[in-house]
Amino acid sequence: MKKIAKETADAYFKERVRSIVIYLIIWALVSYFVIAFAESFSKFTVNGFPFHYFMGDQGSVITFIILLFVNAVVNDKIDKKYGIDEKHNERLSQGKVMDH
Amino acid sequence: MDTQFLVSLVIILATFALYIGIAVYNQAKATSDFYVAGRGVHPVFNGMAIGADWMSAASFIGMAGTIMLLGYDGLAYIMGWTGGYLLLTFLLAPQLRKYGRYTVPEFIGDRFDSHTARVIAALSTMIISFTYSIGQLSGSGVVIGRLLEVDTKVGTMIGVVLIAIYAALGGMKGITWTQVAQYIILIIAYLIPVIFMSLQITGNPLPWLSYGKIVAEIGELDRQLGVSQYFVPFTNGTKWQMLALTFSLMAGTAGLPHVIVRFYTVSTMKNARWSGAWALLFIGLLYLSAPAYAAFSRFILMTQVAGSKITELPAWTASWINTGKLAMIDANGDGIIQWIEMKISNDIVVMATPEIANLGVFVIGLVAAGAMAAALSTAGGLLIAISSAFAHDIYYRVFNPQATDEKRLKVGRITIVVATLLAGLTALNPPGVITQIVAWAFALASSTFFPILFLGVWWKRANTKGAIAGMLVGLLTALSYILAAKYGGFRIAGITDTGAGVFGATASFIAIIVVSLFTAAPPKHLQDEVTNLHYPEQMVYKDGEVWLDEHVG
Repeated sequence: MKKIAKETADAYFKERVRSIVIYLIIWALVSYFVIAFAESFSKFTVNGFPFHYFMGDQGSVITFIILLFVNAVVNDKIDKKYGIDEKHNERLSQGKVMDH
Repeated sequence: MDTQFLVSLVIILATFALYIGIAVYNQAKATSDFYVAGRGVHPVFNGMAIGADWMSAASFIGMAGTIMLLGYDGLAYIMGWTGGYLLLTFLLAPQLRKYGRYTVPEFIGDRFDSHTARVIAALSTMIISFTYSIGQLSGSGVVIGRLLEVDTKVGTMIGVVLIAIYAALGGMKGITWTQVAQYIILIIAYLIPVIFMSLQITGNPLPWLSYGKIVAEIGELDRQLGVSQYFVPFTNGTKWQMLALTFSLMAGTAGLPHVIVRFYTVSTMKNARWSGAWALLFIGLLYLSAPAYAAFSRFILMTQVAGSKITELPAWTASWINTGKLAMIDANGDGIIQWIEMKISNDIVVMATPEIANLGVFVIGLVAAGAMAAALSTAGGLLIAISSAFAHDIYYRVFNPQATDEKRLKVGRITIVVATLLAGLTALNPPGVITQIVAWAFALASSTFFPILFLGVWWKRANTKGAIAGMLVGLLTALSYILAAKYGGFRIAGITDTGAGVFGATASFIAIIVVSLFTAAPPKHLQDEVTNLHYPEQMVYKDGEVWLDEHVG
C-alpha cells in the first residue's frame, strides 16, 4: 500500500465529478429543456421532422449513447493518468465479493 | 390462416427450444451461480443481456402503439427509458459494483447496517418487480391470444404456465447466455418489419432516415380530418405530465433492482461503465426504431384501412377483434370505417402491423417469437429479483442464517412459482395497458430506490433512520398518488398516475436528508466505506487517507 497525497486523491475525485456534471447538463438539455420549450423548437425541421419531435425520438437517444461511450473512454484515461491498473482492479474485486 | 398459426408456432417453439437448451447447458450448480452468473461476463455480452432483460413486453409490444396513439407526448417513453442509463452508469452502477454485494436490498442493508432497511428494500423490490411482471404477463397474453385466436385472458393463463416453468428451470448463469440469444432474436424480429415497411412506403431501406417525411404526411392527414396533428406537443396531457413521466422513467431505470443486479455480473467498475454504454447502444437500436414503427403503422392504417367499407374489411381485423383489443364500429352509419371509428388498443399495434402491411407469414411469426422473447427475458430477470429478495435477503439474511444452499434454492424456486401465479391472476384483468402498468413499476422504483441509492453512494452522512424514512415515504407517496390519480382523478399540474415518480422521489429525497440531519451521524467505518466508493478499486480510503494498492498477484 502506498499513500496517495490528499491533493492527488482530491484531484482524481474532482475530475470524475466534473466530467459527470458536464454530461448530465447535456443530458438535461437534450431531454427536459427541449420538452420544456417544445413549442418554440417546433418552428424548424430536421430531415422532415419538426425539431422537437426529432430530439424526442432520435436526437436525445443518440446523444445519450455517445455520452455513455465518452464517459467510458474518458474515465479510462483518467484512471490511466492516476496510475490505475485494470488487471489489478480485477484481482482486487474478486477478493471483495461476498462469499455465500 | 392455418399456415400462419403453424408458422408462428414453429418459430416460437424453435426459439424456446434454443433458450431452454442454452439454460440447461449452463445449469446452475451452486446458489452463488443462481444469483449472479459467474463473474466476469464481457461488457459487450453483458450489454446484450442487459438489453434483453431491459426490453420487455412494454418496449417491444406496447411502446410503438403508445407512441402511435399519443404522438409527440408518447416520446417520453423513448427519452425516459434510454436517458435513465446515464443516471445508472454515471452515478450508481460502478460504485455498487465496488461495494460488491449481490442484490440491492443487500447493499441497502449493509450500507446502513440495518435489518429493517434490508427488509423494507426487499419488500419494495418484490412490489416493484411484481407490478412490472404483470405487464409482461399481459403482453404474453396478447401474443398467445392472437396466435390461438382466443381471448387475451386465455392467452395470459397459458403465458403464466410457460413463464413459471421457464423461470424455475434455469439459474442466472443459464440466463445470461439465454438472454444474449433472446436479445438477438428480439432485435431481428423488431427491425425486419420496420425495414420492410420503410421499403414498402418510402422505397428507402433505412427507416430512421426515411420516416421524417411520413411524420409530416401524417400531420397533414390529421389536419384534413380536423384532429390534432401527430407531432404537435402536449395534445394528450400537459407539459408537466410529459416532464414528470420522463423523469419518473429515467430515475426508475436507475433504481430497478433487476437491472442493477446485472452490473454485479461484470468484474470491475471500468467494465460496469462499458457495460452501460454497450447496453444503451443495443437498446437504442430498438428505441430508435419504435417511433418509425409507430409512424408507419399509423400511416398504413390511415391510408389503407380507413375508408374501407365495413363489409369489406381485411381478414386480419376479424382475428384481432376476437382478442377483444380491436373494435371497428361504424358510428355514423355510412357503411365506411373512418380513422376515428377504429378503436385500437396500444398493445396490439406492433403485433397487428405486420399483418396489416401484408409482410407475410414468416415475418408475422418472427414478430410473435420476438415478443415472446421480450416478455420472457424480462419476466425471467424480474422473477429472479423477486425470489432473491425473498429467499436471500429476507429468509436467509434475517430469519434463518443457518439455511443450507439447497434449502435457499428451494425457497427461491417456490417464490418464483407463487409470484408468477399471483401476477398472472392480476394480469387476467390488467388494470391498464402494458406501458402504463410498467410505468407504475418505474414510478415506484424512482420513489423508493433511486433517492436512497443515490444518497447512499454519494452522501456519507445519510444514516439508517433517514434511509428507512426515505424508502417508506417514497413508496407511500408514489402508491397513493398512483391510486388517487388512477381511481380518483386527482391531479397536480395535470400530472397523471404514470408521472407519480416525481412526487415520490422528491418526498423521499427530503425525508432522507431531513431525518438524517436530525439524527446521529452513521458510525465512522460506514462513512469511510462510502468515501471509498468514490475511487477505483485500486484506491482504498481509510481513516481520512487514500492508499494505492500496489501489491501484485
